Amino acid sequence: MVREFNIVIAGVGGQGTILMTEILGKAATIEGLKVRGSEILGMAVRGGPVSSTIRVGSEIHGPLVPEGKGDVLVGLEPTEALRNITYLSKNGIAVINTRPIIPYTVPLGLTKYPHIKNVLETLKRKSRSVIAFDATKLAKEAGTPVVVNMVMLGALSGTGKLPIKNKTLKKVMKAHFSKEMARINIKAFDLGFEVSRNLAKRN
Amino acid sequence: MLRDLAKGLPGERVFLLGNEAIARGAMEGGVQIAAAYPGTPSTEILETLAQASKHLGLYVEWSTNEKVALEVALGASICGLRAMASMKHVGVNVAHDSLMTAGYMGVKGGLVVVSADDVRAWSSQNEQDNRFTAKQAYLPVLEPSNVQEAKDWTADAFELSEKFNQVFMLRTVTRINHARGDVTLGKLPKKHRKGVFRKDPSWLTHVPTTARKNRPLMIQRFKKISQAVNRLPYNSLELVDEAKLGVIACGLSYAYTLEATKWLGLDGKVSLLKVGTTHPIPEDLVKRLLSSVEEVLVVEELEPFVELHVKAIAGEENIKIKVHGKDLIPLIGELSTRKVTEALAELTKAKLPIDFSRLDQLRKETAPLIPSRPPALCPGCPHRASFYAIKTAAKSVAKNYGVEPIYPGDIGCYSLAVAPPLETVDTLISMGASIGVANGLAHVVRAPILACIGDSTFFHAGIPPLINAVYNHAKITVIVLDNLTTAMTGFQPHPGSGFTATGVKTTQLKAENVAKGCGVRFVEVADPFDSRGAIDIVQRALMFEGPSLVVFRRKCTLMELQEKRKRGEKVVPYIVDAEKCKQCGVCIKTFACPAIIKKDKNYAIDDLLCTGCGFCAEICPYEAIHLRGKEHGERI
Repeated sequence: MVREFNIVIAGVGGQGTILMTEILGKAATIEGLKVRGSEILGMAVRGGPVSSTIRVGSEIHGPLVPEGKGDVLVGLEPTEALRNITYLSKNGIAVINTRPIIPYTVPLGLTKYPHIKNVLETLKRKSRSVIAFDATKLAKEAGTPVVVNMVMLGALSGTGKLPIKNKTLKKVMKAHFSKEMARINIKAFDLGFEVSRNLAKRN
Repeated sequence: MLRDLAKGLPGERVFLLGNEAIARGAMEGGVQIAAAYPGTPSTEILETLAQASKHLGLYVEWSTNEKVALEVALGASICGLRAMASMKHVGVNVAHDSLMTAGYMGVKGGLVVVSADDVRAWSSQNEQDNRFTAKQAYLPVLEPSNVQEAKDWTADAFELSEKFNQVFMLRTVTRINHARGDVTLGKLPKKHRKGVFRKDPSWLTHVPTTARKNRPLMIQRFKKISQAVNRLPYNSLELVDEAKLGVIACGLSYAYTLEATKWLGLDGKVSLLKVGTTHPIPEDLVKRLLSSVEEVLVVEELEPFVELHVKAIAGEENIKIKVHGKDLIPLIGELSTRKVTEALAELTKAKLPIDFSRLDQLRKETAPLIPSRPPALCPGCPHRASFYAIKTAAKSVAKNYGVEPIYPGDIGCYSLAVAPPLETVDTLISMGASIGVANGLAHVVRAPILACIGDSTFFHAGIPPLINAVYNHAKITVIVLDNLTTAMTGFQPHPGSGFTATGVKTTQLKAENVAKGCGVRFVEVADPFDSRGAIDIVQRALMFEGPSLVVFRRKCTLMELQEKRKRGEKVVPYIVDAEKCKQCGVCIKTFACPAIIKKDKNYAIDDLLCTGCGFCAEICPYEAIHLRGKEHGERI
């Protein structure tokens, strides 16, 4: 029986972090696990940073992952992963989409976007294990860049740590999407799963 | 997507959003009428009820504002039906006037008011602990600690409201409304009541004699409730023998407290009082706890509401005990397991489970690598184009005054125009305050004053200050940014949209007709994407002697795109012609659509983000932007 498993998902408004949270939560519920989660909606989602949490296990109570207790940090955008790095535990894994989303404030000269190499190196230095790849590219391969969230869901499962079966996740996806969209989303999931599993083996 | 929860079977386990759970709780509690005005984090409660309304035969409406929503619910309660009004914390301020008298009256049909307090102001203009409002109105408050309780207690609240003859408040925080969890569903009632109105002025007509008669009755009812809460299942006391420390955990704080005590290895070593009725608090249980420990920590979100009551009890009962609360639990920000862990470690001298300072150090170290990412108006948003025209027109007219134009702003997506480069939100206070504040400014400064307010906000609270401007000769220009929906909270219909909460076609009110009816003599309608036309209209409005009003009307781009997808139409994006582009940067410096990107020195358009509105092509001085697939130089 799972006692406590904590996931933090970080991204930019519009990337589908909330749908990812919902699919995880529904699948965990089907598997009979106790589930808690949280997300931020409203003003912040208009192109701003978005983060959500999903927690499963018999010893969880609150909706938020306590700082320093995250088992997996999923970053749909690299700097957004970094923004949430303090949630990872000492043994936590970061699963990162390396494709940056540049905020509009950068061309306006109000802020700077760092070199992606620096971001990845810092993530690697500060967490025990990092699985990083271009998930947006894989999403395009699956059919549309919109399904980057499902690539990352697959990658989360590919770490081998997620206490929820792929079969259950796919069942929820099939119920959520139309037939054609389900096919594309599941393809995205499988692509993410494979890449992540291979990278996890290497780590 | 929200699910139709009317179809959930008793005993079924489902994964729900807190607001969905509250809505299901209302269904299980026999609600027959529900009314609300959208506001984060409360919106999905009414949306879920609207979806279930047909199946269950409920009446559900988006009201024009929270005061009206409460009055709709009150009207139903007076007739003996169970009713609910749900709103965000600041919405309770709007409803406050009627809420105070409702407290005097009590109820016939169970009446529940949901106050969703947005702690940390994730999507609000302030933070507010509405338990103080409830106290002032003598309303009992239920504060659930998780999503299951949010459902169960909402259902119970209707029963309790009738039993104790009082309006009940369900106080939630963002992390309950927008929390998710597995929930076991209960039964839905089979019978519906039939509402009857019986005249009873001594109850319902609050002339001073009625108020004086009802006040002692209200106080009496409250005393009964204060006794009863000690035995209600929402509160529970676990006394541990020999425990030196007692914790009083209120609402969601109970969840954080359970995790913190476990993390510190203190579970089973401290006495714990869970408080689910934070007003009135279970005094007998509090006294028992206070008499059994040496120190107490009160954990609650936002203000020291329960803490003050606990201190009062300790004083009155002459119990010598140190009551901690906001000295250790921060007044600022949301609560978390970490904050409670730190407070408990401080009191018990227990070793912290992890080195939090290391995490703070890590945050500090990584901060320089993280770009600021403020929320922005969406690509293709008509508001951005509207503000471009408004600003251009206002600047040209302001030259005559020799001062900068002033833009009192309001609440909605368009509040985001506060950011560069638009910078057209000079004040933001509360719903409708753009026009109200503009009235005051007009009598003090000589400058072009442009109050910018959204369509839904205009109908919510913009009309009385508009009438005030006409009545008191305030020379202001009101801009109604009409995108035909309540966009910020997720596209809820409103009086100007032509549809009700349940999708029924209705009379479509137009802001320009309202303004004319209010006596505004300059009223025109502009198209945000016709910048030349729009600039001309705003210039004339600003020159007009007396209050003027301009409606900028364009459907919200997100809705427009959704409809296009349904029709099978494709979005054709614009592109930058690299040969014609002189890298002047006008598009970014004055407009800053997130779809326009800069790679090194070159400008480009992200074809994934571009919605094909074409406004950037209109403002490019070198005609370097055109539709993809069009010949170079061809005018769009």
